[in-house]
Amino acid sequence: MAAVQTFYLPHYPTYPIHVCMFKDVSNAAHLRSQLLEANPEFDFAFLDATMILSPNHLLSASFLALHAHLTSRSKTRTPHSELVFRLHPNNNIGESYRKFGLSDSTTHIVAVKLSLSPSVTAEAVSRHLSQHIEGTSVEIGEGGEGMGMWADREKISKIYKLDVTTDRSGKKGRKEKVVNGDVGREGDEVKEMEMVILGIMTTKGS
Amino acid sequence: MATPPPPHASQPDHILPPPFTHTPLTVLTQGAEALVYRTTFLTPSTPVALKYRPPKPYRHPVLDKRLTKARLLAEARVLVKCRKEGVKVPGVLGGDVENGWLALEWVEGRTVRVVLDEWVERGGENGEGENGEGVGVKEGEEELWDLMRRVGRAVARLHDIGVCHGDLTTTADTVSPQSSPASQPTGHELDGDIIIIDFGLATQTVGEEERAVDLYVLERAFAATHPAAEPLFREVLRVYGESFKGAKVVLKRLEDVRLRGRKRSMLG
Amino acid sequence: MIALGLEGSANKIGIGLISHPSTPSKPPIILANLRHTYVSPPGEGFLPKDTALHHRAWVVRLIKQAVRQAGVRVEDIDVICYTKGPGMGAPLQSVALAARTLALLWGKPMVGVNHCVGHIEMGRSITRALNPVVLYVSGGNTQVIAYSSQRYRIFGETLDIAIGNCIDRFARTLLIPNDPFPGYNVEQLAKHGRNLVDLPYTVKGMDASFSGILAAADVLAAGIGEDLDEGKRLRTEEGDLVTREDLCFSLQETVFAMLVEITERAMAHVGSTQVLVVGGVGSNERLQQMMGIMARDRGGSVFATDERFCIDNGIMIAHAGLLEYETGVVTKFEDTSCTQRFRTDEVYVGWRE
Repeated sequence: MAAVQTFYLPHYPTYPIHVCMFKDVSNAAHLRSQLLEANPEFDFAFLDATMILSPNHLLSASFLALHAHLTSRSKTRTPHSELVFRLHPNNNIGESYRKFGLSDSTTHIVAVKLSLSPSVTAEAVSRHLSQHIEGTSVEIGEGGEGMGMWADREKISKIYKLDVTTDRSGKKGRKEKVVNGDVGREGDEVKEMEMVILGIMTTKGS
Repeated sequence: MATPPPPHASQPDHILPPPFTHTPLTVLTQGAEALVYRTTFLTPSTPVALKYRPPKPYRHPVLDKRLTKARLLAEARVLVKCRKEGVKVPGVLGGDVENGWLALEWVEGRTVRVVLDEWVERGGENGEGENGEGVGVKEGEEELWDLMRRVGRAVARLHDIGVCHGDLTTTADTVSPQSSPASQPTGHELDGDIIIIDFGLATQTVGEEERAVDLYVLERAFAATHPAAEPLFREVLRVYGESFKGAKVVLKRLEDVRLRGRKRSMLG
Repeated sequence: MIALGLEGSANKIGIGLISHPSTPSKPPIILANLRHTYVSPPGEGFLPKDTALHHRAWVVRLIKQAVRQAGVRVEDIDVICYTKGPGMGAPLQSVALAARTLALLWGKPMVGVNHCVGHIEMGRSITRALNPVVLYVSGGNTQVIAYSSQRYRIFGETLDIAIGNCIDRFARTLLIPNDPFPGYNVEQLAKHGRNLVDLPYTVKGMDASFSGILAAADVLAAGIGEDLDEGKRLRTEEGDLVTREDLCFSLQETVFAMLVEITERAMAHVGSTQVLVVGGVGSNERLQQMMGIMARDRGGSVFATDERFCIDNGIMIAHAGLLEYETGVVTKFEDTSCTQRFRTDEVYVGWRE
């Protein structure tokens, strides 16, 4: 059985978020085709795990998707497609899927199920995903520990344009890479990235 | 600068927009525009300042929606820009500008205003000693001067990236304790990052007028604390002046702003 | 004590006579309050030269009539008060000249009065608002004022043109008549407006800017002409044709919201719950209503006066001048000039606690 970690957002306690991580996935192409066919059995958000920076990164997208759904302002068809859409800094749905969703060669996956009805339990999610995903389930800690361990920070930086800064004259340029071997600083760097990304996701499009 | 009065007791609590409608929250501060609450966001262990701009009933609803959205969005974008460029401000964790709210990173620490007030009180005690009323660097005050330098640098950084605060008072600067203060002996409580907050009136501009007005408003806030705070503010300006390329011009403009008292002269 | 007041800083000449009873607790008595307005044709503003001519033609008549109506003798008048500024140069001069002539003729002392302070003191006296935040809105001024240690301090103001000027010029663009005054006609049309059209909304802290609205108004006005092709006419999102009434409505909703906003910010800043609206634009009922909603929301109330005292008048000059005279201040004859620029906070307010 796949290991499911369930998150409860403050203020939306009745809508649990079930999350699973998989590595060495071999059937991404199949999963993708099911999504393209809009098979109701595959009403999940399947994400490229290398694009998820941290637990808060995913929770923020989940919140925005859930909130848009519950206040009837979704821009996409389902809460799960909304989640993928909300991750992207721009308003292009196709592009969101290309950057954050699966490609045929994706091997590391984060699967998310927003539970909008009590019948969607962690067990049901686990059972269903174990059955359909060919890969190795990886456990997520209670506080989201482990989520983000496969993050490709360079790719993520690029998509949110975190490496572009404005200098005095207003010209845009690449930020100088701060070389810092200090391991303790790595957590800080992720935290900084995360904070900017959450802000970008919040302010996008409107 | 007058201190804003506490929220009016007879006023009804505002009904918060979703998802906070059913969460009982108490107002921390109430300005003319926004109410601030403390709550959690994304995880139960992430504290945030919930900033809510309630609808203004005197305003046409269409206009009200348009303004609230535009302003929250502008504020959030300024904050994101600051964080991206490495200027210490509260991060934006979430929000719904259509419904008037932002969830901002919770900032621990004391405002510069509180630090100054405490210093003034201590100064009163010192005044009885043989040092008299001199405001030179005293033993144990070096860290206060250092704090001023950090304030000067923080404001300079903000201006340098093209942001003007619009309401820069001593309550808009917060000294955040460093991440591991527990092991520090007392006497270092002024260490820590300067975090600038309250960007509700901020603009993205490199105009020297706006920059000078920022400094002027801050200067007035220092002066309102105590006349003895004046040399402290001079140190803020000194460091500001050497912190970025355009600073000298701003200091020059500040002299004009002082003369006319913020307001331009105008026809009757 | 009795004062004669002469006002003529814009297109109205006002002559007033006021009496302050010797018991300070008793309210002032208004003995006479006369006014005549120079009305320019639709589409035109009032020019300084023509306005000064108008004031010169009316000043003697109005003074005679006021003194007769008040039933006072010249000997009863203690002081002659006149508007020193701010305002338009030529009209100010014409009235100051009349005041100086009278002072010499009758041998009376003079007090030069700041027009804005006149509005504030008259408003306070009529409404009995003790220490309100004052919104002063007229054809020449837009200020948010609060009293603190012997000065009326300006917390916020227009960064370009005055609100009344904005409304007047907007009215001119739409060829709305100037009689009785453009703001009144805009207000009546606005009552029939239904659709809110987007206009620039510019508030910076406690200051506001109105000039952008005029530029937008020109564009909008060009799109509502009834002689235009159906396809070229301005429509709302719902497809309705935008009317002149809609434009007046939108103008009022937008600029008044700006005024209420900066007033509220000043109230929050100084911790006041009272607001007093003075100046010609202050007679607008929609502005009073919006201000009232805001003040109630803050647990306070709004004070406003009717058009007798809101719109420029001589009584307010007499009243403010007499308050100053009672503290022992007179304006030396050689200083009885006038000035177009005269900031509210330049006046030392010696008569308040």
